[in-house]
Parts: sequence; C-alpha cells; structure tokens
Amino acid sequence: MKESLKRYLPATVRIALGIIFIYAALVKIADPVAFAGSVAAYKILPYFANYLAAAVLPFVELACGLLLVTGYRVKCGALIIAAMNLVFMAALASAIVRGLDIDCGCFKQGGDKTSPWIALARDTVFLAMAFVVLKMDPKVKRVSAQQG
Amino acid sequence: MPKKTWLHTALEISLIILISACAGIAWNWTLLSGAWRGEPTQQAQTAQSSQAAATPADEALPMPIGLMQVKELHDAKEAVIVDARSVASFAEGHIAGAVVLPVEEARKTPPFPSGVNIPKDATIIVYCNGFSCHDSMEVGKVLMQAGYASVYVYEGGYPEWRDAGYPVATGGAS
Repeated sequence: MKESLKRYLPATVRIALGIIFIYAALVKIADPVAFAGSVAAYKILPYFANYLAAAVLPFVELACGLLLVTGYRVKCGALIIAAMNLVFMAALASAIVRGLDIDCGCFKQGGDKTSPWIALARDTVFLAMAFVVLKMDPKVKRVSAQQG
Repeated sequence: MPKKTWLHTALEISLIILISACAGIAWNWTLLSGAWRGEPTQQAQTAQSSQAAATPADEALPMPIGLMQVKELHDAKEAVIVDARSVASFAEGHIAGAVVLPVEEARKTPPFPSGVNIPKDATIIVYCNGFSCHDSMEVGKVLMQAGYASVYVYEGGYPEWRDAGYPVATGGAS
C-alpha cells in the first residue's frame, strides 16, 4: 500500500495539478476582458497592465499545465506554477489586508464569488502539490540527475 | 554541477514564459491595442500611468476613473453619474442618484432626454456593468462628441460599487 502510494502519488498529483491549471487557463482565455476586470479589482496594477496580465497569465498557466500533464520539462512547469501561486497568494493576502471584498478571479470569471480566504487556502494546496511534484516526481529527479 | 543545473532550468523557464507571453499577446492583440488606445494622452498628465498612447486629435476619449474618485465626487455631488445600461437593469439597481442613458438613447440628439438639463462643463461619470461591458465607453464617447468636456468612464461599474457597499437605489429613472 505504502509502496504503491509512493509510486503513483507524484504522477497523480502532477497530472491533477496540470489539469487544474489547463482548466483555469482555458476559462480565462475564453473571457479575457472579464479576467482583466478581476485583475483590476485587486487594485495593484495600473490600467493597461491589468489587460496585459490578463492576456499573458492564462497562457503561462496553459503552458505549465500542458508540461505537467505531458511530463515534459516537469521541473520548469512545477517551478513556474509554484512561483505563480506565491504571487497569487501575495495578491490575495494584500486584498484581505486592504479589506477588499472581491472575487478571486481564479477560475470562471463572473460566476459565484470566491472569497480571498478560500482562494488563499486553495492556492496553498496547489503550492503544496507543486512541491510534491518537485520533490517526489521521478521525472524531475531523473532530469536533475542527468543535468547534475 | 548544481550551478549549471539551475542556470539550465532558469533558461528553460525564461523561454517558456517568453513563448507563453508572446502567444498571449498575439491571441489578445485586438483587446490589448484597444486597451492601449483607451487611455488618452491627457490621462498620462493627470494620472499615474505613463503608458498612454497618442490618440488622434479628433478622437476624444473619456478618461478612466477609479472607485475611490467616483465615491468622492458622488459624495460631494460634484459629478453627474450616468448609467449606460438598459432601463430594466437600472431599475433593478443603480448607483444612488444616477441618471439612466442607454447607448441607443445617447446616440439621439440631444443625448439626454428632455427634462434632464446637464451643463456642458459638468463632470460626467459613465458606468455600466463592469469591465466586461463597453457601453459606458460608448456613451462616454457620444457625450464627448456632443460637447461635454469632462467625461469619465468608471470601468468597475455597478458591480464594483455595489460590492463595495456604497449607496445604491432601485426603481425607475431619476
């Protein structure tokens, strides 16, 4: 039981995280204006930068999701996802500190509002998943060993 | 060698981000160029952004305005607030004290219905249903073309105002 968990857990986490990010990317790509609105609601970036972030971020998410699902360049994909999650968590924390009652804008735009606290908890789980991939996935270990 | 490994990874990460960014910019080119043009030259002089692109002199565009500025002007009664949504949406809920002016109404001459007298030098703030709605920009442009000099577009619109807990009203046109 423990052996099979050790064998299959990293791949399961990697593919699950990849699918989550692909889904998150596709719903944002489908409605970039609404996502720009969600970014702007954080009141962190200037006017045009909201649109630029809304244009670029989903494609970075999509690329990383595809890398994780396909198992190609897993280390890079997981590192970018971990870094993005840290940025998202910092933005959410700043929204909480400033008392902004906004939708996190993480997945479907314009749907039911997800509070920053729930989004923060969810991003913590995603961050943990990225670390599981980085620490345990055999594809990451093999590449590191080859490069080292 | 760990240093070599990290350098290699950093290069790969940079490449992935660069390719993704190029794909995102190419995919959203129309949106981005529209957003870029939407920030008029005079905005760079009055506000924080220095990214404003030059716009043709004959194409006057309303300036964007944020929630806090709208609230200040609303409280001080220093601006006319115009709701660019439909009359039905307006009746369901609107910023307290707003005047309803849907796009098709605004395109008539004069833009405001009879009985609504707004001086040409008044500060006008137009809003609609948030960032995914473009009617506020359309109405703003029409008002500028009609001779109103000080027109702003509040892009957060009714959803942001309502969610901020600021005064709203329901019912017919005021």
